[in-house]
Amino acid sequence: MNPRRWLGAMKMRLRSLARRGRVERELDKELRFHLERQIEENVAAGMTAEEARYAAMRRLGGAEQIKEECRDMRQTAYLEDLGKDLRYTGRALRKSPGFAVAIVLTLGLSIGANSAIFSVIDGVLLKPLPYPQADRIVRLFFSSNDFPKFPINPFDFRDFRARSHSFQAVAAINRSDVQLSGSGEPVRLTGFRITAGYFGVLGLVPALGREFAQQDELPGNGRLVILSDRAWRDKFAADPEILGRKIVLDSQPFTVVGVMPPGTEHPGNDYHAVPYGDSVDAWWPFTFDGNPNQRGPHYMEVIGRLKPGVTPAQAQAEMNTLVQEVGREHGGYSGWHMLVIPLYREIVGADERMLLVLLGAVGLVLLIACANAANLLLARATARQREIAVRMALGAARARLLRQTLTESLLLALIGGGLGALLALGGVRALVALLPAGFPRADSIRVNAPVFVFTLLVALATGLLFGLAPAIRSSRVDVQQALREGARGATGSKHHQRLRDALVVAEVSLACVLLVGAGLMLRSFVNLLRMDPGFRPEHVITASLSLPDTDYKSDAAVAHFCDQLVASLAAAPGVKAAGAGSDLPWTGYDENDGGFTIEGEKPAPGEDFHARYHVATPDYFRALGIPLVRGRFFTEGDRKDAPSALIVNETMARLYWRKRDALGGRVTFTDNPKEKDWMTVVGIVGDVKDRPDAAGAEPAFWWSMLQVPFGQMSVAVRADSDTAQLANELRREVHRLDPTLAVADVRMMDQIADANVATARFSLFLVGLFAALAITLAAIGTYGVISYSVGQRTHEFGMRMALGAARSDVLRLVLSRGVRLAFSGLILGAAGALVLARVLQSLIFEVSPADPLTFAAVGILVLGVAVVACYIPARRATHADPMVALRSE
Amino acid sequence: MSKPSDLIQGTLDLLILKTISLEPKHGWAIAKRIEQVSNEALQITQGALYPALHRLEQQGWIRGEWRASETRREAKFYALTRAGRVQLDKELAQWERLSSAVALVIKTA
Repeated sequence: MNPRRWLGAMKMRLRSLARRGRVERELDKELRFHLERQIEENVAAGMTAEEARYAAMRRLGGAEQIKEECRDMRQTAYLEDLGKDLRYTGRALRKSPGFAVAIVLTLGLSIGANSAIFSVIDGVLLKPLPYPQADRIVRLFFSSNDFPKFPINPFDFRDFRARSHSFQAVAAINRSDVQLSGSGEPVRLTGFRITAGYFGVLGLVPALGREFAQQDELPGNGRLVILSDRAWRDKFAADPEILGRKIVLDSQPFTVVGVMPPGTEHPGNDYHAVPYGDSVDAWWPFTFDGNPNQRGPHYMEVIGRLKPGVTPAQAQAEMNTLVQEVGREHGGYSGWHMLVIPLYREIVGADERMLLVLLGAVGLVLLIACANAANLLLARATARQREIAVRMALGAARARLLRQTLTESLLLALIGGGLGALLALGGVRALVALLPAGFPRADSIRVNAPVFVFTLLVALATGLLFGLAPAIRSSRVDVQQALREGARGATGSKHHQRLRDALVVAEVSLACVLLVGAGLMLRSFVNLLRMDPGFRPEHVITASLSLPDTDYKSDAAVAHFCDQLVASLAAAPGVKAAGAGSDLPWTGYDENDGGFTIEGEKPAPGEDFHARYHVATPDYFRALGIPLVRGRFFTEGDRKDAPSALIVNETMARLYWRKRDALGGRVTFTDNPKEKDWMTVVGIVGDVKDRPDAAGAEPAFWWSMLQVPFGQMSVAVRADSDTAQLANELRREVHRLDPTLAVADVRMMDQIADANVATARFSLFLVGLFAALAITLAAIGTYGVISYSVGQRTHEFGMRMALGAARSDVLRLVLSRGVRLAFSGLILGAAGALVLARVLQSLIFEVSPADPLTFAAVGILVLGVAVVACYIPARRATHADPMVALRSE
Repeated sequence: MSKPSDLIQGTLDLLILKTISLEPKHGWAIAKRIEQVSNEALQITQGALYPALHRLEQQGWIRGEWRASETRREAKFYALTRAGRVQLDKELAQWERLSSAVALVIKTA
């Protein structure tokens, strides 16, 4: 249709609609004219007036039907009928408010849950990262079989930067917190050393000043700092004259050269990890000090911006040739290659599956709610069969009836969707509060336009889904049959019954899938909690300190501070043990130390000895409750001049001393060791895994803090019971020794332990919630169907009892029907769960996706719930009065 | 939606357009005219006629106008519009093509 014609047609349609009364009158007049002409003709043919009229009316057919069709042809009917349908629906719903409320509530609840989960997915997964052309930003990792994601040597990085052609810009960062002193108590700033052009890689520009240039990377030039917007406001009162000002970091003057704008998100990193987000306070230049031929230490994390049109795979191929090139120049990187991974994947990759599982779970709940709503509509359609038959007999077209029924379901779904949107507004806030700390992009989760559009679409799809089957069914009424049966009350055809049974079976099976999922996650969570962490987190307070190099120039100074702090803490009232070490369990780990030599042992072919390395004071293990397996902990005697001592964990002892006892074994970290370079294993301690859900512990060893002092340390203090006041005690003791030190990250050890199972708890909670919702809905559905069929068969039950059936027989009859339905659903659901549980594999810990205990428990639960849901209607069936049944016949 | 009609779908439109192409007619006259011209072979039921008239009017091919009829009662007379004339030509051409094609098949197959 060309636009002019379409416009004309629209005008006609609007005219027809606007002057509805007149158009109707005209239509009436037109048909009456026809009728009169027909009558005249009949009279002329010799009929009596009355005969002529009847014959003409017969000939004309149903005047109303013709009018209806004419209206259809004018296509105003759509709009007009919509109004009528809505009014009709409103009346019908007001007449059965229970029905309407039941549907709207279940739909609202499940649509709301879907919208809430979708807003999390939208905020975390769908929204682009807040960097320009974020899809071109990639992370680069060194990689080998043993170390899938390894950091990069700074001088290697410099070579790669100079030689690669795939990147518009590439930069390296290294976590280096700094201590800001000057006014008031010193504070620790989360900081990174960055190479030139780092912000350019992210596509960000400082709000004030400049970012670092390559000249700032030269040794001696690095006393510069860029502040975050937050640090600038909080610590420097948003001083507009900040540029060029000198501030004291780690007891040294740094010149402020830039301030980043608000919303400068840290892209996340892995080593001494700082989560993605507005989590960094200060950046200072990485300076390439030291010997450029030393390619051993790997600690830089690299990020790059691809040139337009270059894919990560192409960049990776180029980098691999560079790795080999640089390797040839400096003694070989055989077995190593480069990984180039889109930043987006790095940030959300770990949580993507969990979120999609949640969306799937909540989607299943919505399907169940749909089935429930469809069931209720079907029940009503059956009850309205007579009404529909009458309307059809009076000339209502099938399509018209279909549309009206759909109007009803869509209206219900839209009201449910509105309710859902409201619920989502509240639910999202609750969800975000529940999210594990440090969840990537949690602050970009919002109920916004995309979420509302999603809600609307879901509501419409829902309305169609649950309305279509009942609508088609009810418009297929056999008019004659229904009218004849009508007198006795519609019985509901077998088709209806079968459809409703199928819906219940579907509901139960979907609920089963969810229950199995929740069950597996519960088992997994219990496993996590029950697992021996390898340390005792109760009543332990921890904090981290970093001693500036400028104030603690020698190892002896660090060791002395450590000694004094631990001694004074241990003497405090209520303290059982106090220790310090390089780090704490489950707080991430520094990279391994590899390539050491074990006396008399050889690594497996193609492998290298490697282990997590740590440093500890004598009482560190006691404070954390890490058990001694054999040998001894460090003592005061393991100092600088004493023979070097080493403690290893059980995994290292077992893996690397295959034939001998590790205790007394000797390890060296130098290539051509002299006698004094050998360290002796003096103790074996219990394993602690990197993360609670890791498959197993990695090999690990500890140096003595007094022999290998570490300026960056974590303090752990175990108390009798009350640890709350210990925090102040800890601060006081630190400041008594050195008032310029910041006491950072003061946390209870059980908080740290708890944070590690937070994601598991979060997903368990939600899946559990959805499963509970699902089984409740399925129970309601089962109840509805059984209750309905009992209502239909009251007469039959009465007859049966009149003929001698006992109440228990009737009870069994009803219950067995319900259980049969539930059982079919159970079998289907279990089969579905067997297939679907595989997607949970990576989310569950030490549970098989086909865990028999879970499946058995779900089976018992589902059948139990079905029996309960059927019991009430079954009881009613047994109260059918035989006399009433007989009399009503 | 079933429409009682012995005529091939779309043919009724053609007949109506053709019938009013000489002068405007009301519904009754259109039906009578088609019946007469076809020697009573084509019976147009009102159930098909009026919806078709309203559809054609909706599409802008014909326009209805209330005028005194031959019996002096007011009747709605339908006349072809310009677009209707074009449409009539189109449908006629199509009909020719179709009927000659059908004739060809019947004779030769």
